Amino acid sequence: MPEERVLSPDINFIRDLKKVGGETVKKCYQCATCAVVCPMSPDERPFPRKEMIMAQLGQKESLLADPDIWYCHNCNDCSKYCPRGARPGDVLSALRAKFINENAIPSFMAKIVRNPILALAIPFVILFLVLAAEGHLHIPEGKIVYSHFFSIHTIENLFGALVALAGLSYIISLVRFWGKLKSLNGTDYKMKFGDAFVETIVEFLKHTKFTKCEANADRKNGHMLVFYGFVGLFITTCWITFYYYVMKIHSPISLADPMKWWANLSALSLLVGILIIIGNHMKDKGINTKTSSFDWTFIIMILLLAITGLLTELIRLAGIRQLAYPMYFVHLMFVFYTIVYFPYSKLAHMGYRTLAITYYKMVGKDVM
Amino acid sequence: MEKKVGVYICKDCGIGDALNIEQLEEVAKEYGPAVCKVHDFLCSQEGVQVIKDDIQNEGINTIVIAACSMRVNTDVFAFDPQKYVTERVNLREHVVWCQPPNDENTQRMAEDYLRMGITRAQKADPPEPKRGDLEKTILVVGGGVAGLSAALEAAKAGYRAIVVEKAEELGGRVREMKKILPSKPPYEQLESPDIDEKIKAVKDHPNITVYTNSQVVTIEGEPGMYDVTICSNENITRKEIDINEEVKSGGPARFPLPECSSPETVKAGAIVFTIGWKPYDATKLEEPFGYGKFKNVVTNWELEKMASNGGIKRPSDGATPNTVVFIQCAGQRDENHLPYCSSVCCLTSLKQAKYIREANQDAGAFIIYKDMRTPGLYENFYKSMQDDEGVFLIKGEIQGLEENADGTIQVKVENKLLNEVNVINADMVVLATGMVTNMVPEGREPKELTRDQEYIGDIVQKQTEDGVVEELVPYPIALNLKYRQGPEMPYLKYGFPDSHFICFPYETRRTGIYAAGAARHPMDAAQAAMDGAGAALKAIQCIERSSEGYAVHPRSWDQTFPVFRLESCTQCRRCTVECPFGVLDEDEKATPQEHPYRCRRCGTCMGACPQRIINFSDYSIDMISSMLQEMKVPDESELFPYIVGFICENDAYPAFDMAGINRLQLPPNFRLIRLRCLGGMNLVWVSDVLSKGADGVILIGCKFGDDYQCHFVKGSQMANERLGKVQETLSRLMLEAERVKMVQLAINEYDQLPQILNEFAEQVKEIGANPYKGF
Repeated sequence: MPEERVLSPDINFIRDLKKVGGETVKKCYQCATCAVVCPMSPDERPFPRKEMIMAQLGQKESLLADPDIWYCHNCNDCSKYCPRGARPGDVLSALRAKFINENAIPSFMAKIVRNPILALAIPFVILFLVLAAEGHLHIPEGKIVYSHFFSIHTIENLFGALVALAGLSYIISLVRFWGKLKSLNGTDYKMKFGDAFVETIVEFLKHTKFTKCEANADRKNGHMLVFYGFVGLFITTCWITFYYYVMKIHSPISLADPMKWWANLSALSLLVGILIIIGNHMKDKGINTKTSSFDWTFIIMILLLAITGLLTELIRLAGIRQLAYPMYFVHLMFVFYTIVYFPYSKLAHMGYRTLAITYYKMVGKDVM
Repeated sequence: MEKKVGVYICKDCGIGDALNIEQLEEVAKEYGPAVCKVHDFLCSQEGVQVIKDDIQNEGINTIVIAACSMRVNTDVFAFDPQKYVTERVNLREHVVWCQPPNDENTQRMAEDYLRMGITRAQKADPPEPKRGDLEKTILVVGGGVAGLSAALEAAKAGYRAIVVEKAEELGGRVREMKKILPSKPPYEQLESPDIDEKIKAVKDHPNITVYTNSQVVTIEGEPGMYDVTICSNENITRKEIDINEEVKSGGPARFPLPECSSPETVKAGAIVFTIGWKPYDATKLEEPFGYGKFKNVVTNWELEKMASNGGIKRPSDGATPNTVVFIQCAGQRDENHLPYCSSVCCLTSLKQAKYIREANQDAGAFIIYKDMRTPGLYENFYKSMQDDEGVFLIKGEIQGLEENADGTIQVKVENKLLNEVNVINADMVVLATGMVTNMVPEGREPKELTRDQEYIGDIVQKQTEDGVVEELVPYPIALNLKYRQGPEMPYLKYGFPDSHFICFPYETRRTGIYAAGAARHPMDAAQAAMDGAGAALKAIQCIERSSEGYAVHPRSWDQTFPVFRLESCTQCRRCTVECPFGVLDEDEKATPQEHPYRCRRCGTCMGACPQRIINFSDYSIDMISSMLQEMKVPDESELFPYIVGFICENDAYPAFDMAGINRLQLPPNFRLIRLRCLGGMNLVWVSDVLSKGADGVILIGCKFGDDYQCHFVKGSQMANERLGKVQETLSRLMLEAERVKMVQLAINEYDQLPQILNEFAEQVKEIGANPYKGF
């Protein structure tokens, strides 16, 4: 006997979905071309047709606990072949954006992120107040050393606290998602969590699933460079902390230092990666993948993060004090943005997708 | 008229290379033609000029062209049919293109065809057309949107129109609708029906007379000369006759035509039949849809009337509904109710969903469908409605409805796409019931009206000399024709008037009467308006062509009429019963009474008549019999079996042409004789063929049955029925029944011809030679 569902559609959910990039959702007439062309879709209960149907019916709760929307890697073959122009790939994208907004805690932050000006104004004000409190509201004299502007401890305390808060928020969001996955999709596991998780991470490192989305292969390179750029910068942060506290080496660090090499390479990887992604988006526009404002905001922020970071270094090397310190200030704004809004931004997909695929593997639905 | 025959043999297209032309000339000369000429390229200007010169100088009036199929070069070999008989002997497609060249049998076949062709021409005379000054008024029965359009278009074209409407007001059901479907790009906005303007235009038009609150009580006559009696509703009495009583007394068990105490008589030349539709009776849908049981379950028609009279309100408490469930195919595509799709209900529900959504921004309209069917450009309307976030389309089957305590209806749907059961609590449920033609009388179910019977009526048991027989007694419905075959038009299925839906819209089986609008098949208002215009044009065509003496349809070039040699009539009634078009009435002694303008010239009566008294000037029993006499049946050792084929010229003849064009090799054993319709197949020809010594007879006609392809509806079916009686003829001749076979063939099945012919030849071979051979 098929399961029973009481239908009381959430019309506002459909309206919202249309606003965040899923404006074509209602066009689907359920031919299932999408589910057939999708390289990721499993044989049992394939997607994205069922997501299209549920979205048309305003079934918000089911959709937001649906691992399939995360299993999609947005190659958009489905949108390419859709005879009705319903763009299932974009609808899934919109659903993911919607999910990130709905699932993250606290929810007022989601509203802030939706307004980029406000979202950047907050770090500006905070950093400005910090500077004012330390009495550094002027350009320091002498050799350019950024710790003369924001002291190492200030940065550490401020950003340490922010990482902790954002991390906590993100972990709560992930736990909520896991709970929904289990309660709505069952716990008939065929694999242990640990094994599935490790397998998933290995796949991520190799970008195996991305490679499967053949229709959109260039995206893999961009994504990989950005991904490893972030990983490299994370390692840089650890490395520099090690230098400071253990080796007692203080910044600025010599360009010949291996850490500096590593750091610059990571930053370049991020910049090149994000430029490739932008290039792809420009190229694909209108023909293949539509990009929602949610995505564009994020891409621009990452681009600015990478550019301001590199400029901060270059201007310091050029010795232009009047520019170097303000640039550093701006760069910190984008760092703040990236960290604090992590659970509300596109970056949040990292954890959700990991969990969804882990769950997929556990219940034996993974198509790899 | 003295016949002066000219025979012209063409050598082009391979004819000259494959046949011995000199020998053919010799054959032609046996018939003593005034001229006999061979030409290298007869369809050239020069070739045609040869014929024209002979007409001019030699007085040739009977032209036999032995060349290509009669279906090609019709513009080239076009000689005034009123002065000249032109016969085309098909040496190309039917002989040289499907037989081996320079073969004895190929030559034999060509010679037989030439003999038969010359004989046919000799036995034919140009027609004597009946030209008449006919009445040109068009009677429109039914003043709905289709009828109004028909009257307006006819009037605009300069014809007088009379509209008879049973209701108090013109406008029909469209007048009760709030909106109609979009008619122009982008097909997203509903439109207000322009029915009021149409009514006004009809009422104001000087050439249109309107009778409202009136009905047609009798129609007598034929195209160009109908006498119509119109009567206002209050003056009509219908005397009920107890059929059983009639059966006992053995008298005619007919319903009486309605009687009128103060009739008004008008004349009409043609009739447009637009009596409209009614919604399927929803009281039959209590199970499973709860109609009548639950207050908040209504039909789409009830909702429409609600919408146009102050807005959609929930019947139980008058509140504006927030959640409305539309159930598509409520009783439709269902063998127990309406077995067909009404084609507009999906659109109607989308339209009504728009009413719901426009009245309330947050309302949800669910449409539960089997298949969404939105034909033509209405697809765009479907798309735009689908795009509305408050319209939910669910492919599913209704599992059941229950009434909640607050009057809302719990609808359980098996969602076919998600494979789950959806429960919807609806303020209102709307049943998308289908359209039933008004040909179906009250109290009758369309599903009973299958093709077994031709007319809507009752089967009664009637006492006759041969004991009790069952007979269909047709009901009078709207036309009340004084036709021998019944007071209304024959129907095809579910009460819709019989016509070839795709090839011949508007045509019915009563020449001069054209059906349009939802009475013809389910359709929406815009289509009905167009349909009415189309039917009006057909009506005009009918009057104009009839007054020039032409057949109206489908032999629209034909000016012949059947001629009855009534002094030999035995009043057997076969012609009056078998005519597919009800042409013939009967007098008290059952002698057929002609109504030539009703006739379509198919010759079914000619085939039916055992006395052979019905003939045309260029198509007769004697003509075909004479052709059969002229065939040279060869000795068994030379060509065996020798088989004669009677083929329909509408499908089978061109199928043979196609076989030739595609160079399919056909067996040499067959001689084909074309008939206007296989319905004209007279059994006397079968005995002619067999007594002549041929070994078999094959009849190739159109498909019959539900999806019949016969241009004359019942011709091939009649031939088949007659063939059942051929056994008698054959046993009298001491011959095997298997020597005669009937085949149904569609034009696109030409590729099956080699197999069909070879198999039959094989079958006849097994039976053995005709013992009459050589007598």
